[in-house]
Amino acid sequence: MEGLSCMVSEETIKQLVGYEFPGGEYTIEHWENFLLTECTGAELMQDNVVHPVALFHVPIMGCNTTIAKMFELGHADSDASILVESYEWETFHPLKEDTPYKVSGGVIGAERCRGEEGDIYDRVQFRFELVDPQGELAARSVIIWYYTRTEESGD
Amino acid sequence: MEVKVGDEIPEWVMESVSAPRMATMAAILRDPNPLHWDRDAVDKGGWGLGRRTINQGPLDLSYMINMLHCWSGENSIRHIKMTFPMPLVVDGDRVVAKGVVTAVNQDKEGQLAECHIWLDRDGTTLLDGTARVLIPA
Repeated sequence: MEGLSCMVSEETIKQLVGYEFPGGEYTIEHWENFLLTECTGAELMQDNVVHPVALFHVPIMGCNTTIAKMFELGHADSDASILVESYEWETFHPLKEDTPYKVSGGVIGAERCRGEEGDIYDRVQFRFELVDPQGELAARSVIIWYYTRTEESGD
Repeated sequence: MEVKVGDEIPEWVMESVSAPRMATMAAILRDPNPLHWDRDAVDKGGWGLGRRTINQGPLDLSYMINMLHCWSGENSIRHIKMTFPMPLVVDGDRVVAKGVVTAVNQDKEGQLAECHIWLDRDGTTLLDGTARVLIPA
């Protein structure tokens, strides 16, 4: 059935907890903020502040990973098998253009769940942090995705 | 501005969700999911959406941010959390960001307003969540 991943073991999923992405650094350039902000339908913010929607992709890319790799990490076998539970963003200092942020992140939760209709999915929780050049925590992002499964095959 | 519990946040309207914006967003995000930029892929998916591409969740969330910025000013959002109970926002949709103040706490910088916020399409809640916003003194 399209949109559902083949079953991996519960143990495999639990072992994701503690996984850390390579980490790295990310600088949001003006062109990127310009296009990103335009996509939201808003005007550019003042003083080179970056639209907060950047808190989705900047932590991911700054961690030297990608959305596709995050799908693979949870053993998704199709893009359509992923559902979003929540995105949670905390901002301690506004993100600015042309500022190199140090980014770290990894998996802080992974568990097998069963929905009300008996459907099986794996709930995986990622957390990322951005630190500014002064060494202060600028923002934190938590992503919770569901990797939907079929019961047809094992690993 | 001084806020109190029960205050409604002025709505922010996206009159027509845009497929070209989704495509630009997919490139920025390096998002390989074709449902955001390939009408044929959506059509083959069998969700009954026809050939209308599906908006990215972060873009849906951005409409909530825009509403809060228009109300309380840029850089006012301290925390935001959104769930996606009905995440199928597709191109051409008219969606409305809405919110209400549920609690107010005093902070040294001003009021910290706790808000219930949601994204609405014709009375259906697409996104549902909370935000903490600083209202400067």
